[in-house]
This record gives sequence, C-alpha cells and structure tokens, in this order.
Amino acid sequence: MSSEEKEPIQLLQGTLDLIVLRTLASMGAQHAYQIATRLQQVSERLLNLNQGTLYPALVRLEQYGWIKGTWGRTESNREAKYYAITKAGEKALSQETMRWRRMAGLVERLLLEDFQ
Amino acid sequence: MRYLRRLLSKWRSFFRNDQVEAELEREISAHLVLIEEDFLRSGMTADEARLAARRAYGGVEQAKQMHRDERSILWLEQLSRDTRYAIRQLRKSPGFAITVILTMAFGIGANTAIFTLVHAILMKSLPVSDAKSLYRIGDRYDDCCFNNGLEHENGDFDIFSYENYRHLRESTPEFEQLAAMQADQALFSVRRGQSTAQTKPGEYVSGNYFSTFGVGAFAGRVFTDADDRAGASPVVVMSYQTWQADYAGDPSVIGATLYLQSQPVTVVGVAPPVFYGDRISANPPAFWIPLSAEPLLSQANSILHQPVACWLYLIGRIRPGTAMGPLQQKISANLRQWLLTQDEYLSHGFPALIPKVHVVLTPAGAGIQGLQQRTDKQLYLLLSISAVVLLVACANVANLMLARGVKRKIEISVRLALGSARSGLVRQMLTESVLLGCLGGLAGLAVAYAGTRMILALAFPDSMHSAIDATPSPVVLGFAFLLSLVTGIVFGIMPAWVTSHADPAEALRGVNRSTGERASLPQKSMIAFQAAFSLVLLVGAGLLTKSLNNMEHQDFGLQTANRYVLHLDPLGAGYRPERLAALHQALEVQFAAIPGMQNVGLAMYSPLDGNSWTDGVSIPGRPEPGPNDDDDGLLDRVSPNFFAAVGQPVIRGRGFNQGDTADSQFVAVVNQAFAKKFFPNEDPIGRHFGIYEREDIGAYEIVGVAANAKYTEPRAEAKAMIFEPLSQWQHNLKDPIFVNLETQTHYITSIVMEFHGTQQNLEGAVRRALANVDPNFAIINLRSLDFQLAGNFSQERLIARLTTLFGLLALLLTSVGLYGITAYQTNERTREIGLRMAFGADRNRVVRLVMRGAFVQVALGLALGIPIALIGARMIANQLYLVKSYDPLSLLVAVLVLSGAAAVAGFVPAHRAASIDPMQALRNQ
Repeated sequence: MSSEEKEPIQLLQGTLDLIVLRTLASMGAQHAYQIATRLQQVSERLLNLNQGTLYPALVRLEQYGWIKGTWGRTESNREAKYYAITKAGEKALSQETMRWRRMAGLVERLLLEDFQ
Repeated sequence: MRYLRRLLSKWRSFFRNDQVEAELEREISAHLVLIEEDFLRSGMTADEARLAARRAYGGVEQAKQMHRDERSILWLEQLSRDTRYAIRQLRKSPGFAITVILTMAFGIGANTAIFTLVHAILMKSLPVSDAKSLYRIGDRYDDCCFNNGLEHENGDFDIFSYENYRHLRESTPEFEQLAAMQADQALFSVRRGQSTAQTKPGEYVSGNYFSTFGVGAFAGRVFTDADDRAGASPVVVMSYQTWQADYAGDPSVIGATLYLQSQPVTVVGVAPPVFYGDRISANPPAFWIPLSAEPLLSQANSILHQPVACWLYLIGRIRPGTAMGPLQQKISANLRQWLLTQDEYLSHGFPALIPKVHVVLTPAGAGIQGLQQRTDKQLYLLLSISAVVLLVACANVANLMLARGVKRKIEISVRLALGSARSGLVRQMLTESVLLGCLGGLAGLAVAYAGTRMILALAFPDSMHSAIDATPSPVVLGFAFLLSLVTGIVFGIMPAWVTSHADPAEALRGVNRSTGERASLPQKSMIAFQAAFSLVLLVGAGLLTKSLNNMEHQDFGLQTANRYVLHLDPLGAGYRPERLAALHQALEVQFAAIPGMQNVGLAMYSPLDGNSWTDGVSIPGRPEPGPNDDDDGLLDRVSPNFFAAVGQPVIRGRGFNQGDTADSQFVAVVNQAFAKKFFPNEDPIGRHFGIYEREDIGAYEIVGVAANAKYTEPRAEAKAMIFEPLSQWQHNLKDPIFVNLETQTHYITSIVMEFHGTQQNLEGAVRRALANVDPNFAIINLRSLDFQLAGNFSQERLIARLTTLFGLLALLLTSVGLYGITAYQTNERTREIGLRMAFGADRNRVVRLVMRGAFVQVALGLALGIPIALIGARMIANQLYLVKSYDPLSLLVAVLVLSGAAAVAGFVPAHRAASIDPMQALRNQ
C-alpha cells in the first residue's frame, strides 16, 4: 500500500445511504454509534467520518420510509435509538445495489479502456 | 411515492418541531454516552473519555443543523425562525410596534375600505349563472328613464318601448332569451290587509326576466311568460330582504294577496337572498312585477301600450358562438325597418332621424351599470387618494424603522463582525417589517369595515337596504393581505438595506460618538417625500372642499329657510284622473289650516328632487323645429301658491291665481332662461306657445316670468322652464301619447311648504292633515328643502370629507415624522451644540440652526409636492365646480398649513436644544 492510499477517502454523494441500508440489512437493528463503528471497521479506518454526519442520512432514510427507529436498551442497559430496515428499505436496497453495480461497472470499464 | 412520503414527513416535522428537536437531543446525548462508555472501558479517565467522545462525534450543533436542514422544508423553517425572532424583537419594544401597527392600520384600512367599494360596485358580476353570455342592447344610460328613444343625435338607441321589445324578441333568435326591465326604479304603495300603506321600490320586468338570468325562486316560484300576458292575473316576486325585513320571513306571504297601488296582486315567490336585481343601487327593488300588470297599476298613466314611450332596458342571453358585430348590424337594420312601419314614429317627425338609428351591444354580466358609470371616476379618485395616504404611512414607518435600525446598529455590527451573513440580516429585518405590515393589515381590516359602513352611510343616506355589503369578501381579504405584504416590503427594504450596510468597525468604534449623518440622508428624504404627498392631499382637499362649498352655497334661485317638502303618490293611493282636482283642493285646504303654515304649493315635482319632465316647445308662426333643433323646455305643473312656497320670485307679469280655472285661457309662467332661449330681445308676456306639436298650437299664453331657479341639474345653469297650473287640462288632445302625457303631468309628487315651527310639529300635523284627506295616503318622505338640495351633493361631500380626513392624517404622520427625526438629530448633536454655545452661539442661533434643518426637508417636500399637486389638480378638474384646477388660494393654504405643522414639529426639539447647558453637554459626551 502506498502512503497515498492510506489517506482517508471522501464518500461519494449518495453512497452513505446505500452503506447504511446494507449495514442494517446484514447486521439487524443498530444504533447510530454501532453503524458508525461498523463503517470504520469495514473500511479499515479509511472512512474516517464524524459520527454526527450520519444523522442527515438517517433522517432522510427514515423519511423515505426505508428504515424505522425505535428506542431500546444496549447490553450495558443504556438507552439508544435502534434503526431497523423496513420492507420498503429492503426493496430499495436491492434496487440501489443494482444501480450501484451498474454504475461501478461502467466506471470500471471506462477506466480500463483508458489504460489500454 | 417516496418523495411524496418525504414531503409529508417534512410537513409533520415542521409542525412537531419541538418534539423532533427533543428527540434529536436525546439521541445525540445517548450516542455520546455510548462512545464515552467505550473509551472508559479502554482505560481513559472520565474527563478524557468525554473529550474524546466529543471529538469522535464531531460538532454537535453542526450535526443538529444538518439534521434540521435534512428533515425540514428549509425556507419554511427559516421563515418560522425569522418570524419567531421578529416577534421577540417587537415584544421588546411595544411602543414602536403599536405605533407602526396603528399607522399601517390606517393606511391599509383606508385603502381596503375604498377597495371594498370599488370591488362591490365596479368589479362584481351579477350573482347569476353564466354572467358572461349576457349582453345588453344599448350602451348608454344618460337617457333614463322615459322618452321616445330617439334622443341621441347620432341615432344611438338604447331604451325601448314595449312594442319594440316584443318585435326584437321575436326577430332575434341569436338571443336564447331577451328580457326587458324598467329603466327607472319606481316607488309603489304597498299594503297587506288593513295595515297602513308603505312605499317600496319596485321594478317592472318581462316574464322571462328570471329565466334569462337563470335565477330560480328561494321560495314559491318566479314568474314566467304565462304571468306576463294580457289578462293574466297580476303577480309579484318579492325580494328576500323585503320578505325578511317587512314580513319576518313569514311563509304565509307566499300566495298571499298584497295591494300594490291599491290593486290586489298575488305574491308567487321570493327571490334568492343573493339576487339584488339587475343592477347595483342604493335601494334595490322590493318587488318585481310583470310588464303586463303595468296598465292595471298605472291606470291612466300606463305607458305599456304607448308605441313611442320608451322605458325599458333590454338584456339577453346570447347563444354560444354568436358573432357580435354582425348581430349588432342585424338588430340595427331590423330596428330601422321596424321604426318605418310605426305610424306613431312617422307622424311625430322622426323619419329624418331613422336612417341614423343603430344599437351597440355591450357585455351585461354586471347588469345595468348606471351607478357604475356615474361613480367610477369618483371611486378611482378615492382609491388614488387612499393610495397616497398609504405611501405617506409607509414613509413614516420606514423612518421609524430607520431610527430603530440606528439604535440597533451596534447589535447588527456585532452580528456582522461575528460572521452573520448580510443576506440573513436583511431577510430577518424584512420578515420583521412584513410581520408588522400583516399585523397592521389585520388591524386595518377592522378600520376598513367601520370605514366602509361609514362611507356607505354617507354616500347613500336614503338607502333602505343596499346591494353593497361592507363585510369584507375573500377578494377584499386577499387585497388587504397583498397590500400588507407589499407595504411590509416597501417600508422595510430601505431600512434593512441601510442598516445591514453599516460598517461594523466604524459602528463599534463610534459607540459613544455622533455618527448619525449617514443614516439620516434616507431619513430626510422620507420626510421630504411625506411632506410632498401631504401637500398633494391638502391641495386636493382644499379644491374639493371649495368646490363642494360652491355647489352647496350657490344661488339656487330659491328660499330655503323654513321650507319643507313632502313627497307622496296619489296614484298609489288609488286616485283616478277625474278625482285629482278635488284631491288638490282638499290638500291645499287641509295643509293651509296647519298652524304656522305660511304657504302651501303643490307640484308635479319639486326643485332638485331627482324628477324632471321635458317637452318640445313650439311657437306659432315659427318654422317647425327639425329633429336636431333644441326646442326643449322643462315643464312643471304647480298650484297657485307654489312660487311663494319655494321662494321663487315672479319678476314680471303675474303668477297663477284662483282665476286660472279649467275653463279659462290656458296660461303659463316661464323662467328667464326660457324667455332668453325662445324670445331673445322680445317681451315674452302675452306670447303664445304649445307643447304638443300640431295639436295645441299656441294653446298657452305666457302671463309671467319667474326668476331662474335650479330644478334638475345643480351643476349647470338653470334650464328653460315652463310652469303650468294644475287646474288646467287640455281635454281635446287626440294622439294617445299626448293624452297620456297630459294626464301624467297632473299627478303631483310633492307638496312644498313654508312653515314656521319645528319639523317634528310639522310631521305630526302633516300626518293628520293627510289622514283627513284620505287615510290611504303613504308619506314617502318629509324633509327640509335644504336637506333635499344637500342630498344632490352627498357623493361630493363624501369625497371632500374623505380627502380632508386623509390630508390631515398625512399631515399628522408627516409632523410626527419630522418631530421624531429632528429630535433624534438634535440629540445626536448635543455635543456639537454644546460646543457652539460654549463658543458664544446664543439660543436664537441654536433654534435657527435646528429649525433650518427641519425646514430644508419641508422645502424639499414642497418643491417636489407643488408640481405633483398641480398635475393632480388638473386630473380632477372635471369634478370641480366653479373652481379652476390652478387655484392659488388652495395651494397657499396647503403650503401654510404644512409649514405651520412643520414649524411646530421643528420648534419643540429646537427649543429643547437651545436649553442645553454647554458644560453639561460637553462633560456627558
């Protein structure tokens, strides 16, 4: 790994929604802190975002009706708001995933073409 | 779908904002606690963990703001935040807020009141179905309400006889329906059972009147063509307001018999509450009566079957897709052809005019628009005047806002220095001014409601119930709201801009020093602007008041002291022509016997009571007048004592006396204008004339000349006029229309009295005298002659008074503004004045210094205002009576009043400045 690749990366516009949905789909209901921690783990700390920046994505997804927040208790008996993916959210996730894959494939093909 | 869902969520979040905020707060703090817990577990101290958690989380406030931006509708959120802020600001300075709201309330209230009238009178369609497809045959209203239809020299035809209406209705299939309605609105004597008779307005209309307008009955039925046939039993439709007001909505009225003009008629139905008839008027009809009932109710005066008696307006519903141009030509051609077949028209010398006859079709969605044509200029004048008041009010408020902006300069500077966006500040200040505007508008609605009621009462003093409603309609509410919004922006934008452009550094540096000069230039120009418009209003008020004064105090050619006029209707009381002579005699005897009565005069009509009667005068030995020659003379028929009773002197020859009987030589008294018009340079006494073309050549001998007096048009010179005695009657006329006219002129409507005593005493005595003659008589009204004359000027009086009121209001606002700014500036300059005085300036010089500042602004205002006032005066020149639009006196008075007010407003702070103790002033600053 070169040192450049160690630099934190910026999230592409709109991808945060997809990541959050995917996290909730695979991990079940999570609170914001868990989601943020999970993002950092998966990205091997490359994705170093302020945890507060999750909030707009959460409220947006909730307003779309894709996730739903309910208050619950953590293992240490602290209160936290847990977000779970909804039926509509799962449907949206598969659509968004497909879109992302098509997009990524397209960009990949273009990049390969350039370097040939 | 998801966007719709999101929008709904956003709306929800806007209305449950506090709850959402609290939840967010709770979520964030729970989040922080969880991070902290993890850090504690990894071995940090409590303090370290808290700090680390904050760092990991990032800016809490920023996250909240991002959350807000995301979850809500941004502009709405901002608006509500700005509004809440503005309300807080206003509550901190209630004095300021109240002053602004009151000022705006008057400005917006005045405008809304006038707009209510403009909307109700000029902009409304009739409350009927599909008003757009209604068209009138005819375009003018000035030949109301009874003539031969060939009055206009250019042949423009707009008033029709019954026969003519029947013909057009049958031969114009382009009209789905063509209805006829009486041009005039007549008064009827109405009685139910044995109750006393009342006088009510009514209108003759064709049988298809209601179906043409698409108006059904509220109760019972409306009438149809079957009710409008000769021989049909007479029916009426009652207006809803009359049904409620006079019969308390009694259902038994429908189907009941009423006595109209002493003839039994059946009430078949009640019109819907919103239907006030085919025109806006101060006294809408209480009854609609089919045309076919006219011969029964009018008896010998009936004009229904007089072919040349034109008294109907025609409105029809046009078939969809009809081209108006060709239809207009078709009707015109049709009308010319028809007139040529009418012996009556041919025999009265009209053939020369017939080729020119034509009609103009006009949209009639608003019905008969006589009132509109009479009042539109005045209404628009009032609207412009009230707009000027609003401008002055806006300038005043802008000034207050500027002064307030200066006070808040430091706060604003600090906020700018701390990085507030200028646009945000402007937005916030505009929100504040728009909020003030809206609050002012709300208060203005109350002012408008009261104002409209007052104006209606002043404009239509005799109104029983009116088609014009003072309650604000949705359109009026919309107008007031729009006005509030616009004024809020107008008076807010300048102060907001000026204040937000304060240089933070300078303002902070100069906290304790005088820096007022920069803000005061806009303030000064506001004062000049206010002064200019106040002057315009004051000049207008001066001109209109002077004109009103000229009208009211002109020489009418009458004596009005102790003169009273009673209006009554012998036809309504059931009098036939053959009983009239006895009736007149009985009335004279009974009234003369009232204690305090000096003179009693009976007349076909009295001066300036709204009636008139015009005849064509022919003089033996002179060539017959052509159709366009002016041979008009007003005719009034009077009793012998009439001239004494109205105080109109007979200056040559004699008046009438008991010797002028039915059998003696027909005599006439003419006025000076008649003598001048028909006998210039000749002695009219002893000359003869006739009024019925070839049928009464030279029938009347002129026995006297009366001084000119005004009977019909108070703004014009007295017209040529003939007086004939009630006691004489041409019984040998042959043409039916002449017989009819001669009969009509013998029905009196007025009794003029010279009476010494109170009006109250007179009223009781008149009632008794009338009951002695015939208990069936209804008193239409009893008023002093002064009151009757003044009634001709109620609209002018209203406009003059409102303009004066508005002018004084503007003057007050300007003076307060001038005082405010002078006091403020003097305060700012305390140190400078102290210095000047320390260096030897005396008190007078200080007063002069301050006053000069005030007068410069007023002088600027005058320089701006005088030309505008002159232009404005020219625009209202046609509404002025015997006042030239350039009237130096009005201008001078306005300038003096304005200067005087400015002097007072400037002197108070100047005097205070002169009392400054130099030492103290210097020490304090």
